[in-house]
Amino acid sequence: MSHRSLMLKAAAAAAVLMIAPQAAQAQSSGLTSEQALAAMRAVQAYAKNDGSDPSLAVIDRDGNTVLLLQGNNAAPHNLGLAQRKAFTANQFKMRSIDWRDRTKPGQPQASERETPNAIPLGGGVPIMVGNEVIGAVGVSGTKGGQEGDTAGAQAGADAAAALVKRLQAQN
Amino acid sequence: MQKLMAGLVVGVISIFAVSAGFALMQQMTRQFTLQSLSGNDISVEQALLVAQGAIDACKKDNSVITVAVVDHVGGVRFIVRGDGASPEMVDNARRKAYTARTFRQPTSTWMEHTAIDAVDEKGKPIDLNGQQMLENTIAQKGGIPIIWHNDAIGGVGVTGSKGGGEADEACAKAGADAISDQLF
Repeated sequence: MSHRSLMLKAAAAAAVLMIAPQAAQAQSSGLTSEQALAAMRAVQAYAKNDGSDPSLAVIDRDGNTVLLLQGNNAAPHNLGLAQRKAFTANQFKMRSIDWRDRTKPGQPQASERETPNAIPLGGGVPIMVGNEVIGAVGVSGTKGGQEGDTAGAQAGADAAAALVKRLQAQN
Repeated sequence: MQKLMAGLVVGVISIFAVSAGFALMQQMTRQFTLQSLSGNDISVEQALLVAQGAIDACKKDNSVITVAVVDHVGGVRFIVRGDGASPEMVDNARRKAYTARTFRQPTSTWMEHTAIDAVDEKGKPIDLNGQQMLENTIAQKGGIPIIWHNDAIGGVGVTGSKGGGEADEACAKAGADAISDQLF
């Protein structure tokens, strides 16, 4: 075997090594539309029980929108609020209702409330796969106030996470 | 034996009656979907059907699209970003839907009408190019209005199909057509 072809083979092997982890990363970081739609259906099922008509947002781990839905009788602020709740849950990797309590005036973390776009209101829940946050669901406009919005968003986040886990189990 | 036959006949008839009643109820629910909203607005249920229609149409060539449905005031009713689409596509689809809604015509028609050199049927310059400078509009093909009684109650915008703007608009049209039987 010539020296040249050995070099080429080594280069090819190195390229494969470099690409492989990137592909794996890309697969784990993207929240798919299918997962977002599963979250939406779970929130809608919660809302049906509740007799409410909420708006919701699903974002990926980079904070980018995957899905938005405005309820039929939503007030103008509901959809934007759902987005900010999702942003807050994803950014701080906790439920926005817990972040609200953690950042109350007088608390050491109070100044976190100055983060642009974050909002200290319940209704944002991170989508957790193990200890990893892969996105978030934000809900606004259920009947139960901040607790109700949190419960609705939790149902959505659980549904999305269940799909991710099923996919991981298959691979 | 006779009793058994009679029971069987009654059973079959009641199954028919129940299924016919169920079909009628489904039909009524579909028809009332629109009426349940005030101000002739597009509902969540309709928006999801529109989006599904657009996604299905674009699946034919394996396109993964981002689709937006706006309501009668041009606000977001529903958006879903296609897997792997860049984050900007969300706003791109929304603006297509908004443009179609607010000017009550497909964005391709509106683009021709508002082109810098557009002329009317007598050859006179139209000079509506300024409309393209309005906030939230976008001069790209792929937006279709959802028309009810000669007014737009919403709009649908599609982006990311393999065939470009023309294919985007065909898929958006398929989406709007998916609920045309509900609009009466």
